[in-house]
Amino acid sequence: MMDAETAELLAESLGRAFRHESVAAVEASLAEVGWREALQEEGAAVIPLLFTRQGAANATSGALDDLLTAALGLPADPGTAFVLPEFGTYGTPGRVQDGGLTVRGLGTARMPSAARAVLLAERDGALQAITVETGGLCTRPVGGVDPRLGLVAVEGQGVLASGSTAVTPAAWENALASGRVAVAYELIGASRAMLRLAREHAVTRIQFGRPIGTFQAVRHRLAECLVAIESAEAAAAIALGTGDRVSPLLAGMAKSLAGRNARTVARHCQQVLAGVGFTDEHDFHHYFRRVLTLDGLLGDARTLTRELGEELLRDRRLPAAPPL
Amino acid sequence: MDLQEFRTGLDAWLDEHEPELRAESGPDLTLDEEMEHLSKVKRMTYDAGWMRRGWPERVGGLGGSTLMRAYLGEALASRDLIEPGVYSMTEVLAPTMIEFARPELAAEMVPRLLRGDETWCQGFSEPSTGSNLGSLSCRARRDGDAWRVTGQKVWTSLAQYAHRCVLLTRTGSPESSHRGITAMFVDMDSPGITVRPIRAIHGRDEFCEVFFDDVRVPVDRTLGEVGGGWAVAMDLLPYERSTSLWHRGAYLRQRLGRLLATVPDGAIDPGDLGEVVQMVFAFHARSRGTQHRMARGERLGPETSIDKVLLATTEQAVFDLVADAVPTAIAIGDDADGDRWRTEFLYSRAATIYGGSAEIQRNIIARRLLDLGTER
Ligand SMILES: Cc1cc2nc3c(=O)[nH]c(=O)nc-3n(C[C@H](O)[C@H](O)[C@H](O)COP(=O)(O)OP(=O)(O)OC[C@H]3O[C@@H](n4cnc5c(N)ncnc54)[C@H](O)[C@@H]3O)c2cc1C
Repeated sequence: MMDAETAELLAESLGRAFRHESVAAVEASLAEVGWREALQEEGAAVIPLLFTRQGAANATSGALDDLLTAALGLPADPGTAFVLPEFGTYGTPGRVQDGGLTVRGLGTARMPSAARAVLLAERDGALQAITVETGGLCTRPVGGVDPRLGLVAVEGQGVLASGSTAVTPAAWENALASGRVAVAYELIGASRAMLRLAREHAVTRIQFGRPIGTFQAVRHRLAECLVAIESAEAAAAIALGTGDRVSPLLAGMAKSLAGRNARTVARHCQQVLAGVGFTDEHDFHHYFRRVLTLDGLLGDARTLTRELGEELLRDRRLPAAPPL
Repeated sequence: MDLQEFRTGLDAWLDEHEPELRAESGPDLTLDEEMEHLSKVKRMTYDAGWMRRGWPERVGGLGGSTLMRAYLGEALASRDLIEPGVYSMTEVLAPTMIEFARPELAAEMVPRLLRGDETWCQGFSEPSTGSNLGSLSCRARRDGDAWRVTGQKVWTSLAQYAHRCVLLTRTGSPESSHRGITAMFVDMDSPGITVRPIRAIHGRDEFCEVFFDDVRVPVDRTLGEVGGGWAVAMDLLPYERSTSLWHRGAYLRQRLGRLLATVPDGAIDPGDLGEVVQMVFAFHARSRGTQHRMARGERLGPETSIDKVLLATTEQAVFDLVADAVPTAIAIGDDADGDRWRTEFLYSRAATIYGGSAEIQRNIIARRLLDLGTER
């Protein structure tokens, strides 16, 4: 367990790293801070420190690539990207058939500068983590609602593998769980940033001779945002747990909550910001774009929630709640 | 005894005594039977020592972490041995006595509440005073070594069963608002008290009107300072949103589990179910943090309004799901199961009203947690 002081120092340096504009500078700064070493040494406990700040800063990096690569037991470094499942889903992006590897997935902002990529592929019903040269993949920026996130579509056929290791379904589940908690924290960080912007607006914007934050309709919207954020954060913290292993079931729930609640926060904050929140000049839209996109990584809220319900209806019992 | 030992010991004890602890006539009890059953559960758990854990020794407890209190209610609610609303009133009223009553009075009275010998009620709301608690007008006039209380309370839960009442009265001038309120501990058999039960929407005499006609209350029954009743009330409210909410969360999980186990195929939309289960989980996660903060001795404050909003929203979502899943049972079911779902569904509508309404909680969050200044 990390002590509070170490955590505080690490959090501060991570916060500074995300002030850089370019992905390259953020990545260099994360390397300097020693984020990958911290992840190795402290395990999942560093997830909230990094991803909350990444979300709050509207920054982007290859931290998720590192997390997933390391979770599968492979060496994580700035030259190694991770191929994420396609938007909204969490199926394996790779498939090996008749000896050939086909890839369809998403890359983070690291992908364009990485030499290698790790991807999970299915072969005759078994899972493999395959390393490929990025030169052998077709990548193109996805643009979409949040171009600043730097997501790229990744495709390839007959891709040459430079290495592969077998991955058990449990290992992939655990990796997914870590990734989902990370994205949940990023969503929470972005949600807090939206609430901060809306609150600032509420206390400074004057209408009818007084700050709009004195109107109850405005106050209750902002209160609703805080409830949404705090509940998502409590859920993420329990999913993270105190041991090394993130609970897959709880991580799925935490990510769904963070994704759904971030939409609630965005809706209320945008209403409070009104006209200015509808502009390209105010920062709000960056966060709104971000949460819409983050929700689609590693399984979106709608899919995960529905699947949870289906599973429970099959089992006909609730999972045990984490003990007091 | 630490929580782990407590849990293991209690679970084994409950396994052994569950048949005795279960309500005899099943879930469709009358309120009288339910109150009697609750006393029995409290007495048995008290005599076996479980109920005394987590309470200070000076009020008959055995000391130790308050987490044990949280777990006891959780275990009883998970096994469907108690109705948490009534059971958990202890968690609201006993801490108030411990903090604000004369030590001898607390030492004498609190064990009776814990052991189930007595029921207590909370007399805050009045006909003209609901959310605006600071405007209450039930008058207490000083007369030598006693107060003379005249006025009316309303929505006083279980007053028809209560032996005592934690009462808020106006001792200052009518305009003194928050500053002129005094709390006191009143014997419900005092001459001059009349209790009229009120039938609630779910068919039970949940609460009462309580009339005070020149009721004598000894001055040594004052809780806290004279004129300091607001502090007593404000101190009590966060407790109303901690351990008791944890118990209620356990009850909601138990009911959701029951629904899941019994609902006909195809009656629940998986997406709706998933969402409600996630809400229950998020509440559990939030409230768990609150239980641990309380156990560390941290002072609970306005942040517990978040717990309350979450619980109220979650409780209503659970029973909205029930209403969607078994609409016939709720609307026209006349067997015990239908009766219970209907009662619970209707009762869940109160979750956003009592203990500070959903709007009042949001007002607190806006002012105290978001620092938005005062309204208007
Ligand atoms: C099942 C149940 C059990 C109860 N048990 C007890 C008990 O044991 N002891 C006790 O003292 N009381 C008890 N109460 C009373 C409860 O505390 C009050 O009902 C509650 O405080 C609301 O007061 P009210 O009903 O007078 O509504 P009002 O205060 O009149 O409110 C009416 C509506 O206006 C809204 N409103 C009021 N003020 C504001 C504001 N400033 N901003 C925004 N909206 C506002 C409220 O949210 C509500 O929606 C119980 C109530 C119920 C339903």
